[in-house]
Amino acid sequence: MAVSTAVTPVVRTVTQQVVVTYKYNARTHVTTVTRSRPRRVKARFVGTKIYLLNAAGHWARIPYIWSSRKAALVYNRRLHLTLIAAAKPKPKPTPPAPGADPSPGYVSKDPARHLLRRATYGPTPTLLEDVARLGIAGWVDRQLTPASIDDSACEAVLARLPDQAEPIWQVHDLLDRGERNGWDQLRGVMTAHVARAAWSERQLLSVMEDFWGNHFNVTTPGAEVPSSRAHYAHTIRTHAFGRFADLLRAVTLHPAMLTYLNNRTSSDVHPNENHGRELLELHTVGVDAGYGEQGVLNSARILTGLSVSWDSGEYLYAPWRHSVGSVSVMGFSHANTTKAGGEAVALAYINHLAHRPETAHRIALKLARHFVSDTPPTSLVEALASTYLAHDTAIAPVLRQLFTSTEFSASIGMKTRRPYEELIATVRTLGLGAELGTGVESIEALIWMAGDAGQPPLGWPFPTGHPDVAAAWLSTASTLARWNNTMNLVANWWPTTFTRPDLRRHLTYGVTPATCGAAVDMVCLRLFGRTLTPTHRAAVLTFLDEDADAPITENTGVLTWYLEQLVALLLNSPYHLTR
Amino acid sequence: MTDIDCTTCEPARGISRRTVLRGMAIGAAVAGVSSALGPFGTRVAWAATPGYTGDTLVVLSLRGGFDAMSAIVPAADPDYYRLRPSIAIPAARTLPIDSRFGLHPALAPLTPLIDAGHLGFVHAVGLPAPNRSHFDAMDELEQAAPGSTLRTGWLDRMLALHDPDGPFGAVQMGSSTMPYSLAGPFPALGMDSLDGFSLHAAWDAASTTRWSNALTALHTGAGAALKESATGTLGALATTAALASAANTPTVTYPDTNLGHALSDAGRLIRGNKGARVITIDEGDWDMHAGMGTVDGGWMVDHLTDLGACLAAFAADLGSRIANVTLLTITEFGRRASENESQGLDHGWGSAMMLLGGGVVPGVHGSWPGLSDAALNDGDLAVTTDYRAVLADVLTNRCGASTSEVASVLPGFTGATLGVTRARA
Repeated sequence: MAVSTAVTPVVRTVTQQVVVTYKYNARTHVTTVTRSRPRRVKARFVGTKIYLLNAAGHWARIPYIWSSRKAALVYNRRLHLTLIAAAKPKPKPTPPAPGADPSPGYVSKDPARHLLRRATYGPTPTLLEDVARLGIAGWVDRQLTPASIDDSACEAVLARLPDQAEPIWQVHDLLDRGERNGWDQLRGVMTAHVARAAWSERQLLSVMEDFWGNHFNVTTPGAEVPSSRAHYAHTIRTHAFGRFADLLRAVTLHPAMLTYLNNRTSSDVHPNENHGRELLELHTVGVDAGYGEQGVLNSARILTGLSVSWDSGEYLYAPWRHSVGSVSVMGFSHANTTKAGGEAVALAYINHLAHRPETAHRIALKLARHFVSDTPPTSLVEALASTYLAHDTAIAPVLRQLFTSTEFSASIGMKTRRPYEELIATVRTLGLGAELGTGVESIEALIWMAGDAGQPPLGWPFPTGHPDVAAAWLSTASTLARWNNTMNLVANWWPTTFTRPDLRRHLTYGVTPATCGAAVDMVCLRLFGRTLTPTHRAAVLTFLDEDADAPITENTGVLTWYLEQLVALLLNSPYHLTR
Repeated sequence: MTDIDCTTCEPARGISRRTVLRGMAIGAAVAGVSSALGPFGTRVAWAATPGYTGDTLVVLSLRGGFDAMSAIVPAADPDYYRLRPSIAIPAARTLPIDSRFGLHPALAPLTPLIDAGHLGFVHAVGLPAPNRSHFDAMDELEQAAPGSTLRTGWLDRMLALHDPDGPFGAVQMGSSTMPYSLAGPFPALGMDSLDGFSLHAAWDAASTTRWSNALTALHTGAGAALKESATGTLGALATTAALASAANTPTVTYPDTNLGHALSDAGRLIRGNKGARVITIDEGDWDMHAGMGTVDGGWMVDHLTDLGACLAAFAADLGSRIANVTLLTITEFGRRASENESQGLDHGWGSAMMLLGGGVVPGVHGSWPGLSDAALNDGDLAVTTDYRAVLADVLTNRCGASTSEVASVLPGFTGATLGVTRARA
């Protein structure tokens, strides 16, 4: 389509390329149109703004970015979707496209196991019984009401750490008086995060806590947030299944985020654009929504005044810092005439962003990418985005729909566990528990292990959070660290303080199989809910230096001195790495 | 992109190294396989992505805030002695570098390197604006793109100028925790040590083979990328085992310290010709708020003794290979000009960088602002040289980066050429 720079309105008929198919690269945020068809439309140019005559006969302004490299208009993704919707009927559910690295042949096809691999940090016999009793929808519903699930065992472990619901002013005060140490406080946040992932019965909440923790990443440990970081985690958990609008508001006004993205020191004289930009790019509508640099500046100006008290560490609206004057960004406009009214403008803006269709699409896409596949089907993303908007941004209905969708059940084996997920799954499948007494050294060891493998919990160094696609986690350093972590945990080499069941009894329930082949099968069924393919089984028996039909005797290593090696090997295979 | 004519290949490393590395890039990272790849395949790869032809860059991070004035002492500046009555290094005890500066006597092992023209310093260097928070200053230093929304470190952007050509292009030595400077898409490898970079589950050669075979077999059937991550890692393990073998021992004895071990392994990696473009090493514990000692002993003397001995050993170990190596030190901030009441120094601003290598222009570079009350910035040594000027100098002269490439590594930086290094021959 042609572009005009005329200042007075000009109406002319132009050729528009209607998008028929496109690809969206979730990592680079680049949308590539793969097929389009031309049509003639009336366009109205007013300065740099462009309007198209819509079906209702109204001039509708289109958001776009001018790409000088391609000498073309680049629309935002929402427009693509609108045009696709106009161009053809709603697509039928399609099986997920293969992810970056699918290994569908490795995992059990049992729907219960599939659900638990995705919605928890790893199936356990108890969880499998729960799903069998409640059904998939029933189990998801129960998880979506976490208060109904007894979690006393995990809470007993968490009692060893600072209470995350503790008010920020109180922590601030304790740190100020030197009665608590900032590093200990931050370490407590990571430790509690890991403990809940490993042992909370409210598993879906733990998964979502990590999901939102990364969506709204506040790198931990990090500067200046010791007093508020624990409360921040508590805030995210409180809103994890609720309305996204509430979560967004709580996070945006939280001292941890206001500090992390520098908004606490932003002012009308020097608006700091960091928070204003990330609120648009990462937290809501996404980088390709078409807000431009003016949008970023307006966003930053709206947020001026949202600050943190140096005295208490608590949230503070500082009207004297607020930048007054009309603001306009992503369809939100306000005269913004008074300093005192700035907070209300910011709250209205945050609420507006939460309800934007671009935000709906982006949250739906990220959830589908996390739970379904690295490249989730458009049909599912669109359906989830509609549900999000139809339910006033509530997350629970979106998750309920996701886990009961045909796309989800068709996606078996299409996700790969990231290093942290794999580590916690290993802890769970081995039945490890926190050390006895009041220490947390064993749990802290998991933080370092995850860090060695490249994925320290809550520790991604950028506001983007840990990448959620397999391709980001396949480096040599990460792979070797994972392999060694597994062996350390299986063999109790380090840390040595976990409580642990007897490995053989844990895996065989005390039953002795007749042959080495049967022993391998038994262990695999216990670990994966399936046996190995014949080729893989043969390779494992070669590793054990045993024949499949060799009888198990007192001198057989498979279930005795070689068992740790066998289990570590299996847990380092794609059978365990596939989520 | 233009093809690379092999006559321009840097002679000390030559074509064999490139051939091996390009072979690995194709995915045949298992040791031994690379030699089977013919030159034709590699030439095709070069045509698409010319390889890296610069120095091996060793970035030594002195974490905690390095007090440069205890190491490269402004011995002719009376304000220095006024501000540090109990911890200043007496002028008479320093080893003169020029009329203005002298080395701390604990750094005596470095004087031969100064004489050989392999060691240079840049004083009063640091971040463009003061940042006295460890975390924030380190992040800013290593991102090296203030005001931008880039989510990568400067070394990652430097490495990304050329495609990866094997797992050893960027190695963090001495710790598997990656520095921010390496954050980004370029694959970097972290290891505590060459010896420690091993599969813990395997206890001997037979066991290693058994594990390698079994892991390879269990990954057949996986997607290409996952399969490659396993075979690539097994290949890197085999390569590392060769690097750590008796056939590749250091030619000198390094101090038995963390830094000594890391630099010793860096030397082995460089000698092994595995395409190391960047090696990063962290050396911590420079945050000397209290009780740092005097010239006769203590915390600072211990650290400088180790630093001097390690760097001297590294240079000796490299021998003629030093022609293709540039080591630079970097720190998040310097320390206050005046001592506190605990015979320590609090967080400040300006510090110094040391450069060691065959292409270093010796001497103390940068403009010395002095330590008079008027010259200090909130009590700190003022920064007269943006640290990025040093990086830009090294990138240009030693790493083969063009002006536009330097701009992509250090966006927003427009500084004068410093001349702390010479262009590669």
